[in-house]
Amino acid sequence: MGRPLRAALRRHEQELVLALAAAALCTVGVAPFASLLVREGTAWLNASTPLVSSGALSLLLRSLVLSALVTLLALALGMPLGVLVGRTDVRGLWPASLLHAFPAFLPPFLLALGWFHLFGVSGLLGSEATSRALFSDVGVVFVLALAFTPIVTCLVALGIQGVDPGLEEAARVVAKPSRVVTRILIPAAAPAWILAAIVIFTLSFSELGVPMFLRVDTFPAAVFSRLGGVDYAPGEALALVLPLVPFALLLLAAERRFVGTRSYAVFGLRSRRQDRLGLGRWRPAASAALWLAALLSVAPIAALAWRALSGGGLAEAGRWMGRAPWNSLSSSAVAATAIVGIGLVVGHATARRLRGAAALDSAAVLAFVAPAAVLGIGLISLWNRPALQWVYGSTGILVVGYVARYAVIGVRTIGSLIAQTPLHVEEAAAAAGAGFWRRLTRILLPLHARGVGFAWLLALVFCLRDLELAVLYYPPGGEPLTVRLFTLEANGPESVVAALAVVQVTMTAAVLGAGGFLLRRRAT
Amino acid sequence: MERSRSLTRLAAVVAELLLACGCGRRAREVVVYTSVDQVFSEPVFRAFERESGIPVRAVFDTEETKSTGALNRLIAESANPQADVFWSGDPVRPFLLIKRGLVEPYLSRQAQDLPPGLRGADGSWTGVAARARVLLVNRKLVPAQETPRSIRDLADPRWKGKAAIANPLFGTTTMHVAALFAKWGDEPARAFLDALKANGVRIASSNGEVKRLVVAGEVAFGLTDTDDANEARKEGADVEVVHPDADELGALVMPTAVVLMAKGPHPDAGRKLVDYLLSAEAERQMAAAAAHMPLRPGVPTPQGVLRVSDIRAMDVDYARVAEEMERIQPWLRQWAGL
Repeated sequence: MGRPLRAALRRHEQELVLALAAAALCTVGVAPFASLLVREGTAWLNASTPLVSSGALSLLLRSLVLSALVTLLALALGMPLGVLVGRTDVRGLWPASLLHAFPAFLPPFLLALGWFHLFGVSGLLGSEATSRALFSDVGVVFVLALAFTPIVTCLVALGIQGVDPGLEEAARVVAKPSRVVTRILIPAAAPAWILAAIVIFTLSFSELGVPMFLRVDTFPAAVFSRLGGVDYAPGEALALVLPLVPFALLLLAAERRFVGTRSYAVFGLRSRRQDRLGLGRWRPAASAALWLAALLSVAPIAALAWRALSGGGLAEAGRWMGRAPWNSLSSSAVAATAIVGIGLVVGHATARRLRGAAALDSAAVLAFVAPAAVLGIGLISLWNRPALQWVYGSTGILVVGYVARYAVIGVRTIGSLIAQTPLHVEEAAAAAGAGFWRRLTRILLPLHARGVGFAWLLALVFCLRDLELAVLYYPPGGEPLTVRLFTLEANGPESVVAALAVVQVTMTAAVLGAGGFLLRRRAT
Repeated sequence: MERSRSLTRLAAVVAELLLACGCGRRAREVVVYTSVDQVFSEPVFRAFERESGIPVRAVFDTEETKSTGALNRLIAESANPQADVFWSGDPVRPFLLIKRGLVEPYLSRQAQDLPPGLRGADGSWTGVAARARVLLVNRKLVPAQETPRSIRDLADPRWKGKAAIANPLFGTTTMHVAALFAKWGDEPARAFLDALKANGVRIASSNGEVKRLVVAGEVAFGLTDTDDANEARKEGADVEVVHPDADELGALVMPTAVVLMAKGPHPDAGRKLVDYLLSAEAERQMAAAAAHMPLRPGVPTPQGVLRVSDIRAMDVDYARVAEEMERIQPWLRQWAGL
């Protein structure tokens, strides 16, 4: 390579690396939609009538209302729990917090199955009335809110831990602890709980498995009916997605307005330890509330375990499991690594407000918010080509889909981490002759190794719990465990399905346990 | 230095995982897409693997999209077909593939002793092991003398809010509704479906869910498939299986249908799998495990499983039902509110 070329490459290293990451992000996350648009020609433009005429609009409103209720309930439960976990001397803090948080890492469909074993007519605590309530709008809100509450709890807990201790100490001189919490800590942690609200609203709006299982019609079901019904109409499905675009942009604007780069505090990386607020005579009641939340969180998992054990499903699970757990783990691990790689470059660009970074960030958010069914069909349209058979015909296509949908996790998490690092650290390295790639891998990555590890773990778990996307295009014989659970649920013995759910739970717990252990070791 | 070693190790692990992900097409294997329940079809594929030594890679449908998820994927992938064989849970979906030119006609020698009326003359599809649409009745909630005997009972005000069907946008219920449109014509069929809605019939996510509702006593009876009804019996539920409209319309019979896909990646292995799925042995397995009615006279049936000749079957032209099924979709979606 000639010296001038090398010099030019070095001069434009940052732009080149960013262009490569952007190309990767667009290939997996944007191109599927573009491919679908091109393949469908103008069919999607002409397909706007079903949106108005078939009641899809009322389903859209209904889904918005249900998602808002899920979000409000999760906030109502999660904010006080977050304060208890984050800043008080509640009893049994760690075990209760872990139990409470764990279901957030499982597919909500699996939790719905657990609640069915508890409150279905023939469930452990079931009656006709409980079953009627479960299989209704109320049931959907209940199941999803309990599944997502830990997101609020965790973000609020980490958020208030990140609040400047000086503020709190000053307030405690003149105010009671309750006033400190409501007037100082919660407002100061607003970026954290607003972020939680946006995430929960998005997750519940795009959720398909739980409403379908509980027989409640929602907007994603309307989109799905254009792709899963007899008259396969991807153009109409695409037309139905259109109203979501301004809606997603609105969410994005809200997130930028209220959270922005201030979300750094939620990663709990402050070094200064703060004294926990003493609850005094309220301590037993507060502890009971936290443990009640923990028990509610694990109740559906316990019901699944009970069903698996009582029906002999665990003994049969090996026969029905196949390679599905391995398919899940291998594809999720590779996808999480790619997500972190893209997140490192694009997250850096968003943190430093580089040109084009906001557009890439928006693309990642839109791929996350768009109905998984449309993204899935777009992936088939783009990747099912003879030249790409090595990807499409293997579990590689699962990796592509996961990266497309969950790249936002890497971009946002790592972007927030890098935003904490003063710019002059990078400037000093650049002045000493370090190129962009070197600064990224030798300075920023080691500085935030723990946070990047956390982002990898988070991305891995999100990929592991994915169902809606993978079910549309999983490679023959290469289905992840969530898909196998879903397809076996039809007429499969209940105890075997419950046992496979227990395997999914165990796999997720093992991954989180091992990841948590490694991250803690790194911290000490 | 240590950091770069860590990165190298990480890259090695990722590369290993990528390799383990598999490398697309393998020479000796067969790819099958099926809407027959995984719990029943997978053991048949494993038996074929043992007999032929050819590995089977399968894509299964979910209960909610039964029969249409795999079908739509076949259509979506038509530019670069991935599947060698489609084993459909009903005989109507294959016509949607035939219409699009996605099927390779194949007259299997195994089909010679199957009834000629239940296969395409050119070998584009071949029917085997069948199911029927039945009423599953909860014996605890319905006295014997009041047992519903017709699908019209679903619309009878006597059973207001006490009956269930699966979502007619998916699965065999779509086919059943299309068959009614073909037999009765548009107006009577639409009136019947509107009457179901007015009568508060529960719309379940699937036929398996209909079975659950009946077994749990949440509804008195429901319209489902024989394999789901058989599961209820195997669970020891106090239920009765009624083959409806024995004196008039007849029950809708639905053989599973085997189709060889055009331009499949493994055509020879695909033909071998088609032969196996159409064999008496596969019919026996489906009868024993999934209560499917064998179409060959010589295949034994377990207790409680009838033969097609034992019931009054609805006289339908499956090709016509397929046309109706496509035609009525916009109206059906409106009816379902989606």
